[in-house]
Amino acid sequence: MDDKTGIDDADMAQALSARAGDLRAFAGLVRRHQDRMFGFLLRMLGTRDEAMDLTQDSFLKAWKALPDWRPEARFTTWLFQIARNAALDLLRHRQRIEFVSLDADPSHDIVEDYTPSPEKQFSDRQRISLLQRAIDTLPVDQREILLLRELEDMSYAELALILGINEGTVKSRLARARAAALTNFRHYAGESPDD
Amino acid sequence: MTDPHEVHATDIDLSAYHDAELPAPARLRITAHIAACPLCAKRLADFAALSADFAQLPKDSLGFDLASVIAGQLPGPARSHRWTPTLGWLGLLPAGIGATVSIALGIAIGGVLFSGSAALPRETAMSVFDSIPPGGLCLGLDSCYAEYPNKTGVIK
Repeated sequence: MDDKTGIDDADMAQALSARAGDLRAFAGLVRRHQDRMFGFLLRMLGTRDEAMDLTQDSFLKAWKALPDWRPEARFTTWLFQIARNAALDLLRHRQRIEFVSLDADPSHDIVEDYTPSPEKQFSDRQRISLLQRAIDTLPVDQREILLLRELEDMSYAELALILGINEGTVKSRLARARAAALTNFRHYAGESPDD
Repeated sequence: MTDPHEVHATDIDLSAYHDAELPAPARLRITAHIAACPLCAKRLADFAALSADFAQLPKDSLGFDLASVIAGQLPGPARSHRWTPTLGWLGLLPAGIGATVSIALGIAIGGVLFSGSAALPRETAMSVFDSIPPGGLCLGLDSCYAEYPNKTGVIK
C-alpha cells in the first residue's frame, strides 16, 4: 500500500465519522491537510495572511458541507475543490483575476523585464525564486492546474473534477501552463527561448 | 510509411506523456518518436526539469494547529440533509397545519384592514391634514371654547 492509498483510507474513515458529527475525526482531517491546503492557497493568492484566513474558511465550509460529501469522491479532491473555489472568489473580489482565451500566446504573460546577474542564475535558491516568479505571473487558470498537478500530484481525472472541465481540456491547459511557465522562467533567468 | 521525424510531437502529447496519462498506443508512438527526435526529447526533458524544480519548492507550513483554533467555531455536529422517511407523509402534517393556519390568519387580517379602511368616512381618513395638528393639541383655549361652536355653524 503506497502513501497516497494509506492517506485515502484514513481520510475515508475520518470523513465518514466527521460526517456523522464526530469533531475529533474532523480535527484529524484538518491536521493532516492544513499545510497542503495552506501551501496551495499561498501560491494561488501570494499573501500569507489571506492564505491563512482562507485555509481556515475552507475547513469551516468543508465541515458545513460534509453532509453533501459522498464517499465515491476522494476526500482531498473534494477539499481542494472547496479551497480552489474560495481562492477564485477572493481573486475575483480583488479584481486580479485574468481571463485569457484558450489560444492566447504564452509570451503575453511576461509582465516586466528582469535579468538577474549571471552568477546568481546558477544558484539553486535563485532558481527556485525564479520558478516562484514564473508561477506567480501565470494566468490563474494555468497557475491552479500546474500547482494541483505538480504539488498535489492530482490525476487528470481529479483535475477535471476539481476544475469542472473535461480531461481533454485538462491535457491541453496543463501543456499550455507548462509551456508558459518555462517561457516565463527563461525570461526571468535571462535565457533565450531556444536555450 | 511516413518518417516519424517529419512531424514533431505536440506539447499536449509530451506533457501527457510526462504525466503518464497517455493511452498505450499513443505512448508507444511518442516513445518511438522521442528516441529519434532530439528536439522533442529536449522538450520532454524541459517538462521533467520543471517538475523537478516544483519538487524543490519549500513546503510552506501554517505553523499552528488549525484544528484547535476552529474547534470552537464549528456550528455543532454536521447533520445529513438526506430525508429519512420514517413517518412518510405524516411527517409533513405539522408543517402543513402551520402553513394553513398562517395563510388563514393572513387572509383574515388583510380582510379586516381593507374592509376597515373602506368604511371610514373620507374626512376621518384625511384628518391628519386638519388645522389642528395630530395629538389633539388646541391652538388656544379661546378658540376651543369660545369660537368653536360658531365654526360648527350651530345657532345658539
